[in-house]
Amino acid sequence: MKKVFWSTLLIFVLLIAGCSNSSGGENVEGNGGDPEEDADSKKLVIASGNDIVSFDIHDHNNTSTEAVHVNMFNYLVRNDPEEGFVSDLAESWENVDENTWTFTLKEGVTFHNGEELTAEDVKFTLERVAKDDTLLEYGSYQQIDEVEVLSDYEFNIYTHESEPALLNRLSRIGSGMLPKDYIESEGWDAFLKDPAGTGPYKLKEWKKDDRLILEPFDDYFGEEPKWEEVVFRSIPEDSTRVSEVLTGGVDVAVNIPPTDIERIEDKEGVSVVNSPSQRVMLLALRTQGDYPTADPKVREAIDLAIDKEAIVDSLLEGNGTPTRTRVTPGNVGANEELYDTQVYDPEKAKELLAEAGYEDGLNITLSAPNGRYLKDKESVELIQAMLQEVGITADVEMLEWSSFSTRYAEKEFEDVFFIAYGNSMFDASLALQRLTKEQAAGETDYDNPETEQLIQDAMSNMDPDERVEQYQKAQEIIAEDRPQIYLYQINSIYGVNDRLDFTPKLSEMLYVDEITLK
Amino acid sequence: MKYFVKSLIKTIPVLFLITLIVFILVRVTGDPVSLMISETATDEEREALRESLGYNDPLYTQYFDYMGNLIKGDFGNSHRYETDALNLVIERLPATIELAIASMIIAIIVSVPLGIMSAIKRNSFFDLFITGGAVLGKAMPNFWLGIMMILFLAVNLEMFPVSGRGSLLHLVLPAIALGTGIAAEMTRLIRSSMLEILEQDFIRTARSKGLREAIVVNIHAFRNALIPVITITALQTSTLIGGTLITETVFAWPGIGQLLIQAVNLRDMAVVQAAVFIIAIAVILSNLIADSVYRLLDPRIKYD
Repeated sequence: MKKVFWSTLLIFVLLIAGCSNSSGGENVEGNGGDPEEDADSKKLVIASGNDIVSFDIHDHNNTSTEAVHVNMFNYLVRNDPEEGFVSDLAESWENVDENTWTFTLKEGVTFHNGEELTAEDVKFTLERVAKDDTLLEYGSYQQIDEVEVLSDYEFNIYTHESEPALLNRLSRIGSGMLPKDYIESEGWDAFLKDPAGTGPYKLKEWKKDDRLILEPFDDYFGEEPKWEEVVFRSIPEDSTRVSEVLTGGVDVAVNIPPTDIERIEDKEGVSVVNSPSQRVMLLALRTQGDYPTADPKVREAIDLAIDKEAIVDSLLEGNGTPTRTRVTPGNVGANEELYDTQVYDPEKAKELLAEAGYEDGLNITLSAPNGRYLKDKESVELIQAMLQEVGITADVEMLEWSSFSTRYAEKEFEDVFFIAYGNSMFDASLALQRLTKEQAAGETDYDNPETEQLIQDAMSNMDPDERVEQYQKAQEIIAEDRPQIYLYQINSIYGVNDRLDFTPKLSEMLYVDEITLK
Repeated sequence: MKYFVKSLIKTIPVLFLITLIVFILVRVTGDPVSLMISETATDEEREALRESLGYNDPLYTQYFDYMGNLIKGDFGNSHRYETDALNLVIERLPATIELAIASMIIAIIVSVPLGIMSAIKRNSFFDLFITGGAVLGKAMPNFWLGIMMILFLAVNLEMFPVSGRGSLLHLVLPAIALGTGIAAEMTRLIRSSMLEILEQDFIRTARSKGLREAIVVNIHAFRNALIPVITITALQTSTLIGGTLITETVFAWPGIGQLLIQAVNLRDMAVVQAAVFIIAIAVILSNLIADSVYRLLDPRIKYD
């Protein structure tokens, strides 16, 4: 029997050794050294909370996926918060008339498979996403009517209507250029397995939900890639991600919970870097019908009752900024007067409630997702307590994300719901179009002819300055009408190894060549 | 063998029922389209996507389509990865099997000697310590143990890598986290099974013949005590699979558990269905194997 036991054990051990070999058996970083070790290593390791979704750049809406893709695919233009639109694949561009834009491509740009980038590739790429309504990014590209090839390096983009935000659209998710010939001859599945872009890095290996490894592309048209190898690791558990950055297992860890900031700051060799993000937390309120929130005084009272500053300080450890608009700095059309400010006046809130006929108190339903956003449950509980202070009893309904999003999509929420919105367009249009009469129906039911006119006019206004003014004015009215009460903008928090110079971007993109050794 | 094949056929209705239950559950608990599309999408975009994925068809049509394809071995495509769902699950199998086997080895190495020793030294301080430890081990949630081990052994002492899969060192912490609960369960079982056998007549006979105690314990008693242990080892497979769901997430271990959790979160239905199907087959098979081994070891056991 003893013999049987030991031989069984031996078989187990052999099996396990076999399994490890099949996984490649390579020894990866994270060997538990000090963060200061390997300070000169030309290998960069970045940890995110999730793996990339796919290499189908048109069929995802995941910021962290785009953050990886930007190293493999180039856009025609890049949107720089300081310089505005800067050249990437496009040498120059011009807005010819309301519906026409002319672009000239850089010459000598090659894809990872050796193919040269031409206007045909641009036509193929943009028309794919502009015409296929089953792609997740269709909504942001359907404004494009046609791409006309003028020569190898010149093309026109025609839009259905005048489209002032076209450049914003062309510098975000789904705008990477795809190799037409490769995809047409090898098929889409082959491309998904072995993608080819024009970017500084190409795919070396992708082990799903584990790591994605990039290597430099020698024929890159721009500056020579800086890293010998870039690894994007997927580590879903927050505390594990923090531990990896503490031990030097990864160089950069994204989405650090505020409660772990101190742990990182206390450890030598690593620090925390944070930056504002595009995400704004808000309450959406029903502005019509039998809902108590249909009364503007009630909406104002809710706004006045919530101390946004206190939520940011106590729950986010200061990693956020109170705001009264969703169009925050860095976006076209931002109204900076409504940023970094709040209206908090619980006494006046009580008065307003009394005026509205709720001197004996008011009951509202507040729906919120649980576990979706940073400290969402805690924030809602704090808001509930603040509302209680002025006499509003909020019946809070915390929902797991998938049921929340189902009810959200069906527009089934009652008085108020809590949500965060991002803005990958970096333009006020995306942020405000949800408050147009058509889109607001069934959600906030917001209907103010003046705002409607401003938003509709701005949407097709080709005069950039006037357009910004229209959007700013609209935000002022919205801040008073309160179909959405904006709470605070959330910061992105990163844990970073001290060997690196790393400045996070508002877009949360991780251009690895902008991360440098000290 | 005949019994094995017969039992295998009997599991077909069970598998069928599992596909039905999982199919309904993933559909009634949330809408995949609203999870895929961004918060700012319009109703038209949502509707187009829903139509293209076939979610507008009545539920029974969707189920018959699904079953029709399943019989052909087609579990459908993952909408997250845009690739064959079954392949995705199978790609992950080695990582999970590796972790499961390692935890089982740890559990066996720990529980067999401790269980036997504490049975022999019954009611001693050692016995008390081991049984106490077993209760503690069983009570500790494996994700908590995992996080604690990461903090002490990987971050503070820097003995092991924090997470990921690669070398044998990467395997140690997740295997311990997952193996501890099983080891605890098995230690208690081996102890009580040994105690029962040590009381029996044939042991007394063996002792009275003047056999050395080591032989009595290791050969006569342990061999008989092993029978229930084999059953429990197989039954622990389901515990193991439940454990890998969380342990894999804590250690960023790219196995079926992590795949399944993420698929559930994103309502990636084809992947959830394929993963649960494969897990069900694993549990059924391990139970069958346990039954067969049991019969081999103890010919007195008969099944109808």
